Amino acid sequence: MAQATELSAVIVDDHPAVRAGVAQWLVTGTPPIQVAASGDDVRVAWAGAGATADVVILDLHLGGPTPAMGELHRLVQAGRRVVVYSMRADDEIALQCLELGALSYLTKAEGAEHLLEASVTAASGRAYTPPSLAGALAGDRSATRPALSARETEVLVEWFQSESKDFVGQRLGISPRTVNTHLEHIRIKYAMIGREAPTKAALLARAIQDGLVQVDDL
Amino acid sequence: MAGDHVYATMRIILVCATGILQFGLCLHPLLTQEYRQRWLAVAAFIALACVTAVCCGWVLRRRPLPVALVVAGTAVVLAVSFCASAALAPDQRFQASDWSFGLVGWHLLLLLLDRVRTLITVLTAHLVTSMGLFLSAGVPDRATLGAAGAAAFGAVNVQLAVVVITRVLHWQTHEAMAVAEEKDRLVTRVLTAQQWEQGQRSLFADQLGSTLSLLAGLADGELDPRDSDTQRRCALAATQLRRLFAENDDMPDPLVHEVTACVDAAERRGVEVSFAISGAAVPVPSQVRHELTGPVVTALSAARIRARVSMLRTDEEVRIAVVADADDCAGLVIESTGRVGVEYRVYGEFLRLEARWRKQQS
Repeated sequence: MAQATELSAVIVDDHPAVRAGVAQWLVTGTPPIQVAASGDDVRVAWAGAGATADVVILDLHLGGPTPAMGELHRLVQAGRRVVVYSMRADDEIALQCLELGALSYLTKAEGAEHLLEASVTAASGRAYTPPSLAGALAGDRSATRPALSARETEVLVEWFQSESKDFVGQRLGISPRTVNTHLEHIRIKYAMIGREAPTKAALLARAIQDGLVQVDDL
Repeated sequence: MAGDHVYATMRIILVCATGILQFGLCLHPLLTQEYRQRWLAVAAFIALACVTAVCCGWVLRRRPLPVALVVAGTAVVLAVSFCASAALAPDQRFQASDWSFGLVGWHLLLLLLDRVRTLITVLTAHLVTSMGLFLSAGVPDRATLGAAGAAAFGAVNVQLAVVVITRVLHWQTHEAMAVAEEKDRLVTRVLTAQQWEQGQRSLFADQLGSTLSLLAGLADGELDPRDSDTQRRCALAATQLRRLFAENDDMPDPLVHEVTACVDAAERRGVEVSFAISGAAVPVPSQVRHELTGPVVTALSAARIRARVSMLRTDEEVRIAVVADADDCAGLVIESTGRVGVEYRVYGEFLRLEARWRKQQS
């Protein structure tokens, strides 16, 4: 049955207009994503239909002044695949979310295309790096950051600058697929640092399965 | 210094006056009058002439007299005064044969012109000593006393008048110099202000140059607003102006403010611009900022429908990139400047431009 293989998502955002808009994007996307539940509180992701949704689309600012890092941490520890969808383009918070185990971090300035791709990718347990996150990774100067190759840094910068993988491929003389591979590699490197999270372990398992890394590399 | 000139000139006059007085007026009594001890009087005369001669070495070169010379000279002159008085018989004092009293005063004036307090003290000491010697020989009669008093009073008065004249001249010159200096300062300030205004004018003329000719062309009907080239020139001028206004704003993050202004100008033309920033604000010198945003202005003014502007900032460098769809990039003039490297290439219908500034390693 087609219904059974259809992906589902739960939307947690304190603005009804954002929830409605995101739901519309997901339902009409290719492939369409079912909206299992949506609400202004993270409880919708824990109870009812929301508890079994494939992806959690989480707004970090749920009414309060502090970002909902604790909520993100609990969801990730429970093995939920979370796409953070935030108003703020704050590099440090984006990097913290990755560290906690979010599979993607998008700013609301980034449109439907990136959100759909992030949701579909996250549903399969893989990481998605939108341009703004690539910018944050390219500018990361923290002491614990993983060592990236020159080509990987180039890919990050070019993807941040152009928002087009075709364009990055053209610039660097590689295929858009290779651009993706580089981005995934970078995310695997990031998954291997910092604290443990089930989603990170799943991401690494996925990478081995996809042949992106060897068991010996880990 | 103004005062130094007054003192130097007055000293030259004094040195001449002293010489003339000594050889014109005092030599004659020395040669013709009777003295108790002639050799002592002659030695005193020669010693005074020597003091004048030594002073000439500095005075004629308009140099102030060294302290050592002043001290030694004053001591010699006072000793001379005593010796010359001692060489006279008591009844000859303040008479025609007493050549030394007035002359010693002139010598003291020459030596101590710019040390008024010392001069007054020493002159008083000279006067008191001479008077003391005069009176020690017994109380003279009234006529002799009167004549002596008149001679002493006359000599000292003229010398004091010279001191007063010198002080007044010194003060007036000082005033005049201060006024002249103030005037010079004003002239310099006016010149600086004029130059600054000129600089601002030419700066604005530079920045507005293309705008003014464009407006004139449009007003005269020489340029067709429907022409795509005219439209692109207008877009460029509008973005440049917008940046010019933003450039002087006092903002916490001036670079983002300036680029936002450029993005805003492009959006007003209907270009869909996505602008992303990575990294925190870093201090960028205003000239470098200008060089970084200049290429952005040019690239954005060429954008047709969509553009991506991105700013990547780390502690080591600032990179601003524009990727835009542009139909005609042939006319774009984009150059690297000294500190900012600009990379510019066209990929099919897209142009990509990156302005990159690497911080100097400190």
